[in-house]
Amino acid sequence: MTSSPRTRFAGALFGALALTLALLVGSAFAEDPAPVKGGTFTVAITADPPGWDPTVSTSQEIPRVMYNNVYEGLVSFDRTGAIVPALAESYDLSEDGLTWTFHLRQGVKFHDGSDFDSADVVATFERARDKESGHTHPEYYSAISEIAAPDAYTVVFTLSQPSRGLLYNLARPDSIIYPPEKAETQRSEPIGTGPFKFASYTEGSEVVLERNPDYYREGVPYLDKAVFKIIGDPNTRFAALQAGDIDMIGVALSPEQYLQLADNPELKGTEGTATTEITVAMNNARAPFNDIRVRQAINLAIDKDTIVQGAFFGLGTVIGSHMSPSEPYYIDLSNTYPYDPVRAKELLAEAGYADGFTIHFELPEPYNIERRSGEVVAQMLREVGINVELSVVEWGTWIQRIFLGGDYDMTIIGHSEPRDINVYANPGYYYHYDNPAIGDLLARAEAATSSEAETAAYREIAMVIAEDAVNVWLFSPPYLVAARQNVYGFWQDQPTPAIDVTEVFKTN
Amino acid sequence: MLAFTVRRFFTALISVWLASLVVFSAIIAVPGDPAEIILGLNASPQARDALRAKLGLDVPAPQRYVTWLAKAVRGDLGESINYQQPVGKLIAARLQVSVPLSIGAALVATLLAIPLGIFAAMRRGTLLDPLITTLSQVGAAVPSFWLGLIFILYFAVQLRVLPAGGFTPFETDPAKWFRSLVLPVLALGLGQAAVMTRMTRAAMLDVLDQDFVRTARAKGVGTGKLVLKHALRNAMVTIVTILGLSLTNVFIGSIVIEQVFALPGMGALALKAIGTRDFPLLQGEILVYAATIVALGFLVDLSYGLLDPRIRYA
Repeated sequence: MTSSPRTRFAGALFGALALTLALLVGSAFAEDPAPVKGGTFTVAITADPPGWDPTVSTSQEIPRVMYNNVYEGLVSFDRTGAIVPALAESYDLSEDGLTWTFHLRQGVKFHDGSDFDSADVVATFERARDKESGHTHPEYYSAISEIAAPDAYTVVFTLSQPSRGLLYNLARPDSIIYPPEKAETQRSEPIGTGPFKFASYTEGSEVVLERNPDYYREGVPYLDKAVFKIIGDPNTRFAALQAGDIDMIGVALSPEQYLQLADNPELKGTEGTATTEITVAMNNARAPFNDIRVRQAINLAIDKDTIVQGAFFGLGTVIGSHMSPSEPYYIDLSNTYPYDPVRAKELLAEAGYADGFTIHFELPEPYNIERRSGEVVAQMLREVGINVELSVVEWGTWIQRIFLGGDYDMTIIGHSEPRDINVYANPGYYYHYDNPAIGDLLARAEAATSSEAETAAYREIAMVIAEDAVNVWLFSPPYLVAARQNVYGFWQDQPTPAIDVTEVFKTN
Repeated sequence: MLAFTVRRFFTALISVWLASLVVFSAIIAVPGDPAEIILGLNASPQARDALRAKLGLDVPAPQRYVTWLAKAVRGDLGESINYQQPVGKLIAARLQVSVPLSIGAALVATLLAIPLGIFAAMRRGTLLDPLITTLSQVGAAVPSFWLGLIFILYFAVQLRVLPAGGFTPFETDPAKWFRSLVLPVLALGLGQAAVMTRMTRAAMLDVLDQDFVRTARAKGVGTGKLVLKHALRNAMVTIVTILGLSLTNVFIGSIVIEQVFALPGMGALALKAIGTRDFPLLQGEILVYAATIVALGFLVDLSYGLLDPRIRYA
């Protein structure tokens, strides 16, 4: 959160800051004790996942339970979002960027007792890049032209063009590896290589994972058992935590509940980063948004600090482009168009809209934060003379007409896919932003020979779209966790949707 | 009686079929496609089309309905789009929650309401009657989900004697199963008990005011016998009607209670089916709901003849 010079909100800001600080000092920064072995850990999730195979459904509920716990890929994200070796012990990239060689870990067994080797990797990715296979994101692997296994523990990906992003895609939940001959049964009987085996699932009620005694990493996991309890109602989730029925809420904790944690000595909370950007999207192809001055004016007219206060109790980072603080290429661009309603009015007048205009602003029904934020945005736009007609749309309609059809003036949504800034290269995306420079920059990022060069290219994309005021990026809501005091080792950030319990333990 | 039963049975079948038709039309009328919802916002169009074809969504809606209906008549409810499992199996699992919850709540309601209602009617004119009436008024006004939240805060968070939510199947641990149902059953049953108390009291008063009661009293029939044999028997038709309605209310009301107590019941499944546009699953659910409600009405009708010999069907 950036501090605001405006006195109107200074009091509220100060209060929220003080509270946040008190919470942080009181809990999150406490020194972790030595890990304790054994025990059962119970964590709440919000809905039952549609099966367990993250390669055939994009439901985030699946990786939240399975990623790094049951399933692993060649590489994976760690708690900071860094890409670390998993089933591949190491990998090298050729000079020309066209050959990725993965050296596999030896002696790894799948949970069904079968051996993991290069044939499994080859079959997994042959299936993944096959558009007919039912894999939900074959395009992640489109740069691969050939997959070969020179021996049982080496896999070579030959690329048609350099693709820096491939490594990132290989760390995603979509790239996990299971015995390829059991692809069809993963939905109900998951078999991975991770620190936990899938033990049981009680329909709509709970998922139980059991410690994998043969896990290749020494010393982990600590827990004997991890139970993911499905509790749909937020109040019930919180009551279950207070009652001690569960040990942690690792998804969808509301800011109100987070602030309540300070009153309860048995509980603690952490505030970390997540991949969501709350975005006021504008139809760049439609008047008056096709005039950059109008888009700039709208950006200038919105006081993002106030929105973070109003919609999220001050918990959240004001952003200025399509990236959250969890991205490795994140830079603070929130001052590109700082709040300046006077300048906004001038720009509107320059664009020929001195008397304002009328726009239709549609809020997605299922998303409370977006609706709350949208109402405040509408009020701020009215103050600079824009007549905003607000309406709420049902989710199915939102997807079909606005998102897929691109038929709208202005809407608001949280984009939570990690590294999704690439959508700005697609003029067909619902923003209707057409700038070939973004495609060129993406190509540069893909062809980069170092991660520094890749990061630089991504930053440039972020800066170009920020300058162009394509949308208004309001803020990135934090990843909030509530846990009982004796729980340690959980992820405090959410670089990818995952409740990784590998290093979780409970004292006493 | 047989003709009546057969006629009622066919009416019931037609009601259930109409319900399925209405629900199907509703779900295709609202925008949103299961494939889009499963794949999320960033899926490629090819993946979306492939999934649509795989799920059989590429055929026109009326044809889909006819195929579904043809199978349903033969007892095959099809496969859920979201869970990719047989609908019958999913529903059977959820009924293990919803049936004990509904029956438990109806039992709580009946066991509380009938004695209380009779008692209040007998004590008309004393302080107890307005006390019971007022309490039942309050009970009827309090929404069950709110009562549920209060129960959770008191019994689970404060006293820690019962779980705040969740469900343990009977075969896993009967004691835990029982504990997981206590609060939801009470939350759902007490509201119904309040409504039923008032109705029982009214029905009893109605009967107690009638001439034959006065005659019986004059003949020297004792109060206990008078109430149980004469008055209650006559009030039973009304009470059974209420009981039938109440079971329906409880079955429907469990949708909300399941949310509050994180119970994997029919209601939670129906909400999920709507959210994901999972029409085979939703159709299966509606079939069970409609059939249950129609069957309850049918049973109530049948019981009239048994309870009151004056009511006969053709």
